[in-house]
Amino acid sequence: MTNGPAVLVEGLGKTYPGGVRAVDGISFEVARGEFFGFLGPNGAGKTTTIKILATLLPKSEGHVEVAGLDVTRDPKAVRQAIGVALQEVGLDDLSKGRDFLELQGLLYGLTRAKARDRAAVLLELVGLSSVADRRVGSYSGGMRRRIDLAGALMHNPGVLFLDEPTTGLDPQSRIAVWEHLEELNAQGVTIFLTTQHMDEADRLCRRLAIIDHGRLVAEGSPAELKAGVGGDIVHVAFDSDTSADGSLDVALAAVRDLPGVRQADIAEGGLTATVGDSGAAAPAIMGAFQDANLSIANLSITRPSLDEVFLQHTGRQIRDSDADGDAEDRMWSQWMGVNRR
Amino acid sequence: MLVLRESYFIYVRNLKTWLAQPWMIVAAVLSSAFMFLFFGEPLRGITALPGFPADDYQAFLAAMVIVMAVVFSGSDMAMVLLTDMMSGYVDKLLLSPVNRFSILLGTLLIGGTRAMAQVLAIILVATAIGVRFEGGVLGILGVIVATTLLGVAMGCVGLIVAMRTRSVQVTVNSWLLFMPLAFLTSAFMPRDLLTGWFQVAVGLNPIEYIMVAVRAVIIEGWVWDSILPGIWILLATTAVLVGAATYEYRRATN
Repeated sequence: MTNGPAVLVEGLGKTYPGGVRAVDGISFEVARGEFFGFLGPNGAGKTTTIKILATLLPKSEGHVEVAGLDVTRDPKAVRQAIGVALQEVGLDDLSKGRDFLELQGLLYGLTRAKARDRAAVLLELVGLSSVADRRVGSYSGGMRRRIDLAGALMHNPGVLFLDEPTTGLDPQSRIAVWEHLEELNAQGVTIFLTTQHMDEADRLCRRLAIIDHGRLVAEGSPAELKAGVGGDIVHVAFDSDTSADGSLDVALAAVRDLPGVRQADIAEGGLTATVGDSGAAAPAIMGAFQDANLSIANLSITRPSLDEVFLQHTGRQIRDSDADGDAEDRMWSQWMGVNRR
Repeated sequence: MLVLRESYFIYVRNLKTWLAQPWMIVAAVLSSAFMFLFFGEPLRGITALPGFPADDYQAFLAAMVIVMAVVFSGSDMAMVLLTDMMSGYVDKLLLSPVNRFSILLGTLLIGGTRAMAQVLAIILVATAIGVRFEGGVLGILGVIVATTLLGVAMGCVGLIVAMRTRSVQVTVNSWLLFMPLAFLTSAFMPRDLLTGWFQVAVGLNPIEYIMVAVRAVIIEGWVWDSILPGIWILLATTAVLVGAATYEYRRATN
């Protein structure tokens, strides 16, 4: 891989032949080794963007580099450097799982022996060894996702593009996939993921971008984005016998003076503060109480979720796909559990 | 060299996909056997016509059965490709770093292979019902080579239909396109015995010359006057169609 960020997008636009403007001048960067989430409602331009990055679709304008390579000038090298599992990009139903993986390996330049070994390793990893010689067409939804993911990993790509990798999986299978993706990321693989699940984005992604109507409407770490909504809420409840004297007013004044505290009020037998970053503010607030000789009974932090972030930036709730996993997915996640520990 | 290696991998995949559907193969062989049965038997008496070139009508018919099977295989290839396009598997291949041309070649070669296998099966059926090949073993080999090439050419037509329309409705019915190619020929009767506009139309159909050549090898042997025009037209048709399919494929995959 050459130098530069894993993904560099400058002024990217895409107008389809019919005149539909799917992507309208977006710019962003994904650093090497980053776990990046690309969120947006249906039809926002997510899939168009990921297809352009993966060289499947030509851009209308702008500059796009993936793994330090220009996608228009050097698409073949880009393809070799990345692994891709797109939602609607298909599997070969009449092929056996193992054959599908081995062919993927061969097409990415692996030798026959290497492809065979690598397929066996990945089949084991995604828990499909026992069905490796069954046709892909007989696989359940969750198994299909996993064989697709394994296919994308055959040539050890440095950058992985995943389009909604857990949509349609049951909760346990989702967690198993998450753990696997986290492991890959820990090994240094850059992951670019689109998702409609806010909990998934929150758990996995170090940085997010939200796209709506073809434009980026927000970008930042999950914490930053949530802070942008209006901040965390820190609530401090104090012992009833200490609430009478003037030390409470002293503490309140001290809290209001703390950096990062936007608002603080006494209410309902406690103090409620809106803060930018509760991790930094909460200890400072506790310190202010100690200085005023007040004892704290209980401190709680309420954070805005990414759902609120999404709502704020796009004006709608993200559509939550129904998780329609099945027994085999659950079996797999159990198997993964056994295998990991 | 790399293109050949990649094409081979994709070819093997396509071959496995085909073999994974044995009913497709059985149906293809059965339909050819039916041709001999349902056309050969009732029309047996045609050989008594003055000027008819063969004594055994089944031998006369064999060229038609062979060429028609190969012509219609183009329609099957259209469906094969459309299935891969709709499942997204073509995109999966396009996402890989293989040469675009390898994907096309791997697909065209399977068209040829399917045609070849089917012709082989027809020749076995024909032999079983007593058809003698005057051109001998070399003649049979020649027919197989020629029809494999024709299979590639017809596969190109199927490919263009699938890529242009991207429609199941059109592709499933694309045999309609191949029907005039197969039937506006001397399929049942030599061209001299045909009349009027039909005779003229047959003379304009390139497939006719290929059928005449195949038939010459079967019922007469190495009669070059009948065979050579067929060879030239086959080569020209194949070259034009492979060119058109390549152009269309480039356009579709930018």
